[in-house]
Amino acid sequence: MDEFTHGFRIDRDRCEGCLSCMRACPTHAIRVRHRKAQYKPDRCIDCGVCLSACPSHAITATTWSVEDIGRFKFKVAVPCPVLFGQFPRGITPTMVVNGLLALGFDAVWDYSVDVSLAARAVQQYVEAWKGAKPLISISCPVVVRLVQVSYPRMVNQLIPIQVPREIAGREAKGQYSSRLGLRESEIAAIYITPCQAKAISILQPAEDAVSHLDGTLGITDVYNGILASAMQEKRGGSTPHSPSIRNSTFLRLHVSEGLGYRLAAHRHLRVTGLSNIIQVFDDIEKGKLRDVDFLELYNCWTGCTGGNLTVANIYVTRSTVHSLVSHLPRMDAETKAEVDRRYLGEDFLLQQRIRPRPLQGRTGSLKERVQTLKQEEATLASLPGLNCGLCGAPTCKELARDVSMADATKQDCVFLSKERLRELQRVYLRRTPSP
Amino acid sequence: MSEELLRRTFEVRGRDFESAGETSTDVTSVLKDIGVDPDIILRVGVVTFEAEMNVVMYADRATLSFVLSDDEITIEVTDQGPGIPDLELAMQPGYSTATDEMRERGFGYGLGLPNIKKNSDAFALESEVGKGTRVYSSIRLNVDG
Repeated sequence: MDEFTHGFRIDRDRCEGCLSCMRACPTHAIRVRHRKAQYKPDRCIDCGVCLSACPSHAITATTWSVEDIGRFKFKVAVPCPVLFGQFPRGITPTMVVNGLLALGFDAVWDYSVDVSLAARAVQQYVEAWKGAKPLISISCPVVVRLVQVSYPRMVNQLIPIQVPREIAGREAKGQYSSRLGLRESEIAAIYITPCQAKAISILQPAEDAVSHLDGTLGITDVYNGILASAMQEKRGGSTPHSPSIRNSTFLRLHVSEGLGYRLAAHRHLRVTGLSNIIQVFDDIEKGKLRDVDFLELYNCWTGCTGGNLTVANIYVTRSTVHSLVSHLPRMDAETKAEVDRRYLGEDFLLQQRIRPRPLQGRTGSLKERVQTLKQEEATLASLPGLNCGLCGAPTCKELARDVSMADATKQDCVFLSKERLRELQRVYLRRTPSP
Repeated sequence: MSEELLRRTFEVRGRDFESAGETSTDVTSVLKDIGVDPDIILRVGVVTFEAEMNVVMYADRATLSFVLSDDEITIEVTDQGPGIPDLELAMQPGYSTATDEMRERGFGYGLGLPNIKKNSDAFALESEVGKGTRVYSSIRLNVDG
């Protein structure tokens, strides 16, 4: 089994070497060698496309399991708002909270205050910014990594304000440690995540700092437990009436408005879906989006409701959350007072700057690097340009690049080597159909 | 004497707003690929983009040549266009002959040429009315790009 330093692992026994993941990968990070998929860790942005593209289910997300959280003395769940939209009608947020408690959590954190704090800090940052525009939200870790890997010139446009889940983790640990007299290391803040990308952003933050959260469980990991607990609660008819969500700020964040509502005076674009984001970034590089102040970008269609560790249909989730939002006040006096008080006393900047991620590139002096570029161009000219992928690289250009970096040979191309074709026949035609 | 390592020539079409910016992207992606200092790439990006936009807005066509040597990058844009009657005026920040339509697209604020000069270590501008304009920019490289 091949362990990603990313949010995935590839099970080599299950991998059939079918090229589906390699063809789907937007950053061309995957190669198929000896009928098994491998990846280039420096190029992977954790978007999760390969995970859904794999027909053999050989690629899986690495999150914790419910058993892993047992080793902490006090466990606080910090659930992504999307969780509350996952369940059938009649299952209230309070039942979801009770379900988390039934799974072994000691508390569940409502982070509407933290969301409001982050939004206010972002607004202030956008309004004070004098540098290159547009500024880019760092809510979605895939977007951050995409910028680090493919658009390194834009890293300074990433907004260095901590995301709400991190502010929530810090506050939850601080509050419970003083309330219970425990050390912060004895308290675990566990994020309930809609995708593996956020899980990896907690294990390995983009800015090389340490996350305030201690681990993650996928929504998929807690779904059945919560559902069972909620069904039991419904049968017993003893739902406690304490409201678990004070106002709708928390839920609105992930549904339609994002942070846009705070930035109404600015030109703000909310874009979802990786291919759309790449198009927007390309337009920025070409200077076509000059008048935009702020970008809020999400890798998944419709935003976090489309995360790959969610259970319910994304549109049903959105509708459920909208309905929850309509029954809650937009803001309440208690929350507002807490936001005002905490905003003055806390620092919301990231601990470190986000920097471009070093790609495994050409080496040697400038002259030598230009030389390998020219070799690559000569190699590319000798390839068929069909991008068939049978060499194990997604495009002829990528093969040419691999060759120039001594990571493949021209003989991997079936058009240039009969032996390569025979080898593929040997390896791939061996498959026996199941009876 | 500096040694020429790489030379690229691009044709830029005037009044083609659809593909405006592509030449600049091509140039900077080559530099990204070779691993040139990102700050240098940023400057080359501004120079090529502004020069390209001037062609798109005012000229019929132009040739942009880009040369990478071991100690500098030079960019030279020679266009066939109306030419600039008063070079000193054209270099003044904010001076522009752009139409409203160009401004609606977010261009033509009279910062193009000053921006090119600001990002260059050496800069030259020559023009002949009725024939065309030549913009030359050079950006010095640090050791090893």
